[in-house]
Amino acid sequence: MSAYEKPTPRINPDNARFWESAHEGVLRLPRCGDCAAWHWPPGPVCPACFSERIGWEEAQGHGTVSTWTVVHQDWFPAFRADIPYAVAQIELAEGVRLTANIVDCPADELRVGLPVEVVFDRVTETLTLPRFRPHRD
Amino acid sequence: MSEALRDKAAIVGIGASRFGRHLPESQLALATQAFKAALADAGLERSDIDGLSIHIGWPLGVDYDQVAQAFGLEIDFVNQAWAHGRFVTGSLQTAAMAVATGMANVVACVNVLSFTRERDILGGPHDFEGYRETGGTHAETPHYGLTAPAGGAALAMQRYMALYGATSAELAAVPVALRAHARLNPKAVMRKPMSVADHQASRMVVDPLRLFDCCIVSDGAAVVLVAAAERARDLRQRPVFIAGMQGMAAGRNEFIFAPPGLGINQQSGERPDRTAERDLAVYRSADIPREAIQGLYTYDAFSPLVLFVLERFGFCAPGEAAAFVQEGRIGPGGTLPVNTSGGLLSEAHVAGWNSLCEMVRQLRGEAGPGQIADARALQWATTWGDSVILRN
Repeated sequence: MSAYEKPTPRINPDNARFWESAHEGVLRLPRCGDCAAWHWPPGPVCPACFSERIGWEEAQGHGTVSTWTVVHQDWFPAFRADIPYAVAQIELAEGVRLTANIVDCPADELRVGLPVEVVFDRVTETLTLPRFRPHRD
Repeated sequence: MSEALRDKAAIVGIGASRFGRHLPESQLALATQAFKAALADAGLERSDIDGLSIHIGWPLGVDYDQVAQAFGLEIDFVNQAWAHGRFVTGSLQTAAMAVATGMANVVACVNVLSFTRERDILGGPHDFEGYRETGGTHAETPHYGLTAPAGGAALAMQRYMALYGATSAELAAVPVALRAHARLNPKAVMRKPMSVADHQASRMVVDPLRLFDCCIVSDGAAVVLVAAAERARDLRQRPVFIAGMQGMAAGRNEFIFAPPGLGINQQSGERPDRTAERDLAVYRSADIPREAIQGLYTYDAFSPLVLFVLERFGFCAPGEAAAFVQEGRIGPGGTLPVNTSGGLLSEAHVAGWNSLCEMVRQLRGEAGPGQIADARALQWATTWGDSVILRN
């Protein structure tokens, strides 16, 4: 495997569980142990009730595109070969929105409201990026 | 914001460096040009300056200690913001609060942006803020290739278009209007005529934003001198009073480049049907109603931000701004001219300070061919909810 040259996420004590879970092929999100609210991004307290009892639970992995863009600009040399590529915000069934790539989707099919499902892309020996693709069934 | 600071501080001098792309001057050299011009404008000496309010520091700009050392100043009050465009308003407001409370006599707001010299900071691998664990402040997620402020503006505009049916050709009215303003301003970097067709033919950068929806990457400096109102009345220039202010909004319903409730990041997705009380505070603070505002000045790094600020402050209802900006309404001679020197989209990206200087020229009646007739009250306001009303 050649060296992975794209930027990698910074992992800290608040978000480590998300990335560990993704590497196991599970989309796991922070959820309050007191008020049961899901939240994003991960943090040390629940933004709804301020509880510190934060648990991590498996999410359904389904949602809809709440907004999207296609990047045409060559900002990162490591992404040059991918241009144009899609980045979206996905409103998950749990109510939070993640930002991630949309894959396996022609640009002219991207739209707000598009149903999508998570896919796991193992990019290095230690990192797996969740991405989303159109949900077809 | 109470009335406590109404008309208690004034802008007493303005100055700018030359504006351009790939200028040979260092950041400090550009600051020097602007600082000397502002002192001359105000009729002040450098020894009169005892406060500094710095918006964007090194490396794009200059830090407070560099300015004080390089210019031989003796400074007793310093404010320096995080190096983001969003802190333009707060930097001016802090200066106003400092002189109004007696913490300083004259505060120099010193602002430099050498974007072409420091090009690789903007959105590339060296844009370290994008790597923040909770996401960059404009929704940057470099591991997915989303970077640079433009990405956040694109996410917001794409959703806005889907919700309201607005189009790129309608959005074009914003950069076209600002270019029309810039054509009246000899100092503007971009003065070629721009039509909607030119906008539509410009290359796509980050869908739906085209090149002409993105501000100029330029170099320049501007200095604004702020003093207490009673001091201002004794100085050379007709004072431009800071009539009212309101601060920046933050919270889960806010995203820097979207109006509240648009549904970006963790925003609710429920647009309010009337202007939030907190966004009417500036008018109460100034005792000047929105209907008396003769020109709107805003941080137009990307053309959607003009739409969003119009809606946030209630110049039109949610979803109506794309229609509002048509037919020259925000251009020269329009009913609500916006950024009359050309803004970041066509004059230069001096983080909004170029537009604040223009407001002062307008209120002194020195704006040349772009002069708003009998200008008495102008508003600076941003998509992220802070604002200052200036009057003469």
